[in-house]
Parts: sequence; structure tokens; C-alpha cells
Amino acid sequence: MAEIATFGHLFLHSLTFWWVIIPSVFLGMIVGALPGFSAANTIIVLLPLTLAMPVEVGLIFMIAIYCSSHMGAGIPAILVNIPGTAGAAATPLDGYPMAKKGMGQQALAISFIASCLGGLLTTVIALFAMPVLAQVGYYMHSVELIVVMLFGISLIATIASADPWKGLIAGFFGLMIGFIGSDPVYETPRATFGFLELYDGVPIIPALVGLFAVSEAFLIMEQSSIVSEEDQANITHGSWAATFEGMMMALTRWWHIVWTSIIGLIVGVIPGAGASIACFVAYQQSRSFSKTPELYTTGHPEGLIAPEAANNGVTSGTMVPLLTLGIPGGETAAIMMIVLQYHGVNFGPALFQLHPEIGYGVFTAMTATYLLMLATALPIARYMSHVTMVPIAYLVPLILAFSLLGAFVPREYMFDIGLAVVFGIIGYIARKTGYHVAAILIGVILGPLMEQYFLRALKESNGDIMVLFSSRIGNALWVALIISLFMPTILAKWRARGGAKEVALES
Amino acid sequence: MADTTPSRDAEPRPIGAQLIIPIAAIAFTVYYFTTILDTPWTAQVSAFFVGTILLILSVAFVAREIYAVRRGRATLGLGDLVSHADVTSGRAAIFALTIFYIYVIQWGGFTITTFFYLFICIAILNRGRRLSLAAIVSFVMVIVGYLLFIVAFDTRFPRGPFEFLMQKVFFHG
Repeated sequence: MAEIATFGHLFLHSLTFWWVIIPSVFLGMIVGALPGFSAANTIIVLLPLTLAMPVEVGLIFMIAIYCSSHMGAGIPAILVNIPGTAGAAATPLDGYPMAKKGMGQQALAISFIASCLGGLLTTVIALFAMPVLAQVGYYMHSVELIVVMLFGISLIATIASADPWKGLIAGFFGLMIGFIGSDPVYETPRATFGFLELYDGVPIIPALVGLFAVSEAFLIMEQSSIVSEEDQANITHGSWAATFEGMMMALTRWWHIVWTSIIGLIVGVIPGAGASIACFVAYQQSRSFSKTPELYTTGHPEGLIAPEAANNGVTSGTMVPLLTLGIPGGETAAIMMIVLQYHGVNFGPALFQLHPEIGYGVFTAMTATYLLMLATALPIARYMSHVTMVPIAYLVPLILAFSLLGAFVPREYMFDIGLAVVFGIIGYIARKTGYHVAAILIGVILGPLMEQYFLRALKESNGDIMVLFSSRIGNALWVALIISLFMPTILAKWRARGGAKEVALES
Repeated sequence: MADTTPSRDAEPRPIGAQLIIPIAAIAFTVYYFTTILDTPWTAQVSAFFVGTILLILSVAFVAREIYAVRRGRATLGLGDLVSHADVTSGRAAIFALTIFYIYVIQWGGFTITTFFYLFICIAILNRGRRLSLAAIVSFVMVIVGYLLFIVAFDTRFPRGPFEFLMQKVFFHG
């Protein structure tokens, strides 16, 4: 009871910083929506400002940018099929088809509700279940993480449902591309085509920009606008009712928000996994257990809720190992760690006794941020959805120029802009011929991570491949992986049998 | 695996374009293997493991499609991947312009180069109509981009004559 009173007091205290949270939410949404920018590099750019602020204000500022950037990344993913960050790579699968039908406003409202409620719920869970969740990160070693990565790769086949063979080729092609660069132990360059810029591996942002933005821009060039003329009426006559309709679509699926955001929370607790894996895991699980899996990728609200709730669930998850063990769960958490350490904050169990306003304050600040995000983002959904009506003649050049420059931002190499064009060509061919670009991207993201854990596991076991089956948690995850791979087929057959019985009974 | 083969009566479908990704994957994997032949096992193990699976998948896919061609159910045509629409829609011109833009921006800088890039792209896609609107949109977007990315975020976008001039005028050097 005393704990709840403390949390309540800290929450009210966090709310008094609304004057920091609201501008930070807008900044976070902007940087999240721009490919190449992210919460991490924005906080780095603003580091002198953050370090000069009192620790509490700096913390709330960083938290607000972090949470809102995850939501902001979904906005261009829905409206123009270009995710702002890799964490929103699964959002266009159903968000963009909704926008193309003239339901961009509803899709944005669904995304905002799923993001905010998912983030809010997982923050509260993390606050109370921190001691238990911290153990998840502690028990996840190389072997377990390899199986988690394979979970991600197993999604490749199911994402490209029209022809899983093509999905597998795209995913494994992505993995091989992800292996480009120096090997993690001896730094031997591999498949770099002689480019020094590839020695550190393939950068994710140019891959994201090329596969999604550049290829999409070249693909939509023949149209006059993203939304067809018949569907434009839905937007022209759009009103608050459409936002309300989207809200209701999300709220009536509240249980879906709950369990997909918990997937995000658990994936977020695992150091290194992050939003890009969480969104695909949640999407695949959502489709596997859906009563209408055939509606996914056609503009199904559940297909939009799952990745959005999950990638915001990750935000609170990444904070758990940071605060309890001093291990940052992601890039932004690592930067927050540096800032807090600069202010003399030490992590671990003692943090919650010595500085409860920091330890618990992270989560109460997140709670306040998500509530204010909901209040600020929903009213602007109506105006944002008009982006889909901008004539292609203006939209395409803007997408190309600004997304290519976004590819330049993280490393500031001109080479990366060229690399984005190369990925754009691959993405264009892939889209035209039925290979899913998201499958290639997830391969590129997972490739280096998987190699790192695979090598670590082999080193620990002196090269014995059976190490992959040596841990109890790992074996349980293997079983879960196999179940998850076969579940869609089993469920589909079960439903078909159920349908056949109903027909027989009716006749 | 989904069966993509059509019925016997159907027109042969062009599958040449569908083979580009698997053939590129095969070529890249073979190239990758050649770069790791004389390297420590740590550099090889993951690539050989994944690369072998990729080769099997790609070769089997190509073989399946070639078999369909030999049976007369498919052709090696490229379908709509390359067509006259690439020229009429302005896609080919904008692709060439994009390559030129990337090449020139390192000297021209973000603001000037991006203005001309946007203006010409819009003019091509609008088929030469409403040039004044194209100029206004390009100018506004470039100025917003300059203020947001270079002035506010201090992003190190390529600098050119305009950026250096602004630096001298407003920030004294």
C-alpha cells in the first residue's frame, strides 16, 4: 500500500513537468517520423542541453523523446509506407493498406491508441514486476538469444504468405547481406566489395531508407496520389468521427493491445533484441492466433495494433535491465545511462532506496508521457491523414530527397546515400516480383546479432554445435519456436474442419 | 510451399523478373564464400551455415521456374518490371536525376542542390506544367529543411556555397 502511495506521489510529481513533456513529445514524434533520425541521435545532439539540466528534468526530457519517437515512427509507415525507424517496419503491413483505402485517419487513431495504451500498460507492469522481469535479462545467454533471433527469422516465411519460398529467399538473402563486414573476432573483412565503409557492416538506416522509401517512391510514380479518387472522398469529408471510429476500433480490441504490448515488454527486457524484433514477433503471434488471419496485410486493425503496441511495450522493457542491473536494453537506454551516470546516479537495487525519484521516477515519467501523448496526438490525426492526398508529383521528390539525406545522417558518409539507392533498386525489384522487403530488412537487422551470439555460444562450447540445445530455457524456446512455426497451419486446418462441419450441419 | 503454377490452359506467365532476386542471391553468396576461403573459422561458420541454406533455396526455386519454362507454362520475359511506362511516367528520368543529385550534392551543398533536384523532379512529374508552383514548393521545403536539419539539429548535411554564406552572415564565420 505504501508503495502504491509512493508511485502515486511520484506520478503526480512527474505530471507537474508537463511543460517539458509536451514539447518533447512533439520533438520525439518528428524525429521518430524522419528516417535516419531517432531518439538516440536526437538525445546525443542535445546532450549539452541534457547535461546542463537538473537530473530530473533531463530524465523526463529523454523519456518523453524516447516514448514519442516510437509512436512517431509509425506515422509515415501508415501514410506513405515508409517506417521512420526499424521498430516500425511491421506497421505498414496493415497500416498502409488502410491509408490507401482512405482510412488513414482511422489508422493513425488506432496506432496512437495502441501505442499509448500499450506503453502505459507495460510501464505499470514493469513498475510492479521489476524484480521478476530483471531475471529475464539475467538468464538470457547466447544460446537463448540465438533462438529468439530464429523466432524473428521464422517470421520471414509467414510474413510473405503468398509464397513462403520467396519469403525464405528474401529473409536469408537479408541475413547474408547482414553478414557483410569484418568478422567479430579477428576483424577479417568479408564481402565488402573493397569499400572501407562496409567494414563495420551494413548500416541499418540506408537499408531501411532504400528498401522502403526509395523503392516506394519509384513504385507510386505512375499514380496521381496514394489514395484512389473514389477513396479520396473519405478523407475530404473526414471529420472527428473518423478519429473516433479509429479509437473505437482499437478500444474494442483492448485485449489485443494488452497481450501484444506484453510481448514488446518481454522482448525489450532482453538486451540487444529491441523494437525491430518485437514488432515482427507481435505481428506474427497476432496473426497466428487471429480468427481472421486472411485479413492481415489487407488493412486489418489487429495487424496494425500488434506492432504498434509491441514497439511501445519495448520502451519500458529496455529500462528494466538498465535500472536493476546497469545493463542498457537498447541504444537510447545506453545514452540515458551515460547522462544519469554523469549526474552521479549509480544503477542496481540500491538506486531504488537511495534515489526512488529516479529509479521509480523513470516509470512514472513514462506513465505521464503516455497520457499526455494520447491527449496531444489524437487531435492531430485528422490533419496528418491529408498527407495521403498530396499529389505524387510533389510527394515523390520530397520522399526521395529527404529520405536519402536521412540515410546520410547516422554516419555522415556520402557512401550511405549511394547504398540507400542500391537497396532501393533491390527493394523495387523485390516489390515488383513478390519478395517482401520487410523480410530482407529483418534479415539485415538480425544477421550481425545472430552471428555475434552464434560465435559466442560456439566459443563457450569449444565449437560443439550441440550447445544450441544445452540450456533448459533455450530448449523451451526451441519448442515454442516450432509450435509457433506450425501453429498457423494447424489452426487453419482446424478452422477449415470446423467450417466444413458447420456447412454439413446446415445442409 | 505455395503453388504458383497456373493451369494448363493459362497463358505462359513471364517469370524472368522473379528470377532476379534468387540469381542475385546465388551470385552474392558465391562471392561471399570466395572472400572467406582463407579466413579463420570464426569468419566462416555463420556465413557457410546461412549461405548454404540460401543457395539450396535459390537454386531449387530457379530450377522449379526453369522447369515451368521448359514445360511451356512460363516464359523468361520480364513482365512489367521494365516497360515503356518507365519512360512515360518519368521514372527513368528521375532515377538518372537522383544518381546525378547524389554525385553533385557533395560540392553544391544541401540547399542549392536539393532545390534544383526538387524543382526538376516536380517539373518532370507534372509534365512541365505549373512551374512557378514547383519553384515555390521546392524553395519552401528546402528552407524548412535548412532551418530544421542544419540550423536546429546541427546535422552535418553536405555543405556548399549557400551554407557557407549563411554561416558567415549569421554566425560570423
